[in-house]
Amino acid sequence: MSASLVHDFDWIARQMPGAPALSWHGGVWTYADLQLAAGATQARLLASGIQPGSRVALLIRNSPQYVASYFGVIASGCVAVPLNVQERASVLSRQIEHAECSAVIADPQHQEWGALSEVIAPKTPHIVTVDLQPGTAGCLAFCAEMHADAELKLPELQVDEPAMMIYTSGTTSRPKGVLLSNGNLVANARAIAAYLRITPNDKVLCGLPFHFSYGSSVLNSNLISGAQLLLEDNFAFPQQTLKRMQEEGVTGFPGVPSTFALLLGRCQLSDFDLGKLRYITQAGGSMPRAQIEKLRQQLPNTEVFIMYGQTEATARLSYLKPEHLETKLGSVGMPLPGVEIEVRNHEGNVVASGEVGEIYARGPNVMLGYWREPEMTAQVLRDGWLHTGDLGHLDDEGYLYIDGRAVEMIKVGAFRVSPQEVEEVLATFPGILEVAVTGVADEVLGQSIKAVIVLREGAPADLRGVKAHCRQHLASYKVPKIVEFATALPRTSSGKVQRFKLA
Amino acid sequence: MTDALREQIRAFILENYLFTDDKSALGLDDSLLERGIVDSTGMLEIIFFIEEQLGVKVKDEEMIPDNLDGVNKIAAFVSKRQAA
Repeated sequence: MSASLVHDFDWIARQMPGAPALSWHGGVWTYADLQLAAGATQARLLASGIQPGSRVALLIRNSPQYVASYFGVIASGCVAVPLNVQERASVLSRQIEHAECSAVIADPQHQEWGALSEVIAPKTPHIVTVDLQPGTAGCLAFCAEMHADAELKLPELQVDEPAMMIYTSGTTSRPKGVLLSNGNLVANARAIAAYLRITPNDKVLCGLPFHFSYGSSVLNSNLISGAQLLLEDNFAFPQQTLKRMQEEGVTGFPGVPSTFALLLGRCQLSDFDLGKLRYITQAGGSMPRAQIEKLRQQLPNTEVFIMYGQTEATARLSYLKPEHLETKLGSVGMPLPGVEIEVRNHEGNVVASGEVGEIYARGPNVMLGYWREPEMTAQVLRDGWLHTGDLGHLDDEGYLYIDGRAVEMIKVGAFRVSPQEVEEVLATFPGILEVAVTGVADEVLGQSIKAVIVLREGAPADLRGVKAHCRQHLASYKVPKIVEFATALPRTSSGKVQRFKLA
Repeated sequence: MTDALREQIRAFILENYLFTDDKSALGLDDSLLERGIVDSTGMLEIIFFIEEQLGVKVKDEEMIPDNLDGVNKIAAFVSKRQAA
């Protein structure tokens, strides 16, 4: 069966070519602009002889050019590999190599591009750089850079063929690519669009990065529905964000707990006229109940959707209907239509309601697997079920509650950070004998990273050097906020480090 | 706007986000956000620094890039408020 995001996007774009699709830095791209630019990307890739199924990396921050490249890659039957623009060149080059990318489409202004392009140039057959300019001029420049002016062509795209690969945090620094099919993307996007009731009348302000599953799902679900996305670079200036929401008459706003902590921390939402704000969505980790209450108080006429999912399930597995927010406070709701969720024990048996176990999920949104990692894939995909690694329980009525993670991860804002990845980088700093990393409570981010270091005898406690080393090798959100030096790490009698005692 | 103030602000950012005392790592007109030196929560920390270390309360409506996104901008904003 032929079904894909670009089929759905193309259909809506033909219905409403002049409607605004993306608003960014004061300029607007219409659905026709986006269709044209996606067609130009597709033509460029095909003209370069890139075969369907090839991986094409995207190193472009949220912008219309990212979206055009993303749709163009999928329309070519290739696999879009969006890279985390916050990562360092060493990580990016490892991912590009790991994905065996045939092409890279990049923003040459990216701060790591100089170092990265030198490393990847000899091994990457096609490198295309695109300037990020807003508005129609930006669209025309993009098409010119692609050296193509062609209509978007819709080939046969099979539901079980890969369309996207998202790198996610593994338990080590080894790249872990979640491979998603055309069917995964379109099923999840349609389900989300349906429960949020997204229509062409919607204007959604999005500051979530598209290279992560949550941001990507916002992009997909809105652009197959004819809605307009207003791209926001960051939430550093919450007053400005709220003013833009007021002026533009924003109807939808997706965020993670730290987004709402930033907005609610310094501003009174009720000072702004957000009367058109129909809904808010929250995913990416649990939000404190007090914050949910505060949102409800300050925005009494806005529906709040609490959601749960993971990259391995494309993005979304469950959501709590706004009308159940009070009676089921703390729950992440019920499975999406077409998705099944079970909670099972260590033996793989379904547990009774109220009992905590691992969350299993099955549905059209469950990934194809981890790229080039059959063993890792077999560990999490068994008998058609995804073993999420999350712990939870269901209540008597089938509402899901999250109780933690079976696999140790630190959640910094919306980002999952593996303690091992940070430890591996720290261990390469001279003078460090051993190190352990854990998450500690943080008012805004939920958790921040703490490292406890044991030095070799005579080695200096170079706090600044340690942090600078981390910044050089890790994305900035992975740099430990707190670094302490100790004489020994807390261990169990069997010698295992007790991370919980580090906090 | 004094050089001492500018350097105090630059030193804070170098120490806490770039982990160096090499002044050449941060130009006075560099955008902290564009260069990825701070993110949204880092900006919040800079506001705390302005309020607690420099003694200038940042009003909600003053939280704009023109006042905060760069050493010179912060120094100009703080000087203006201190003089008021």
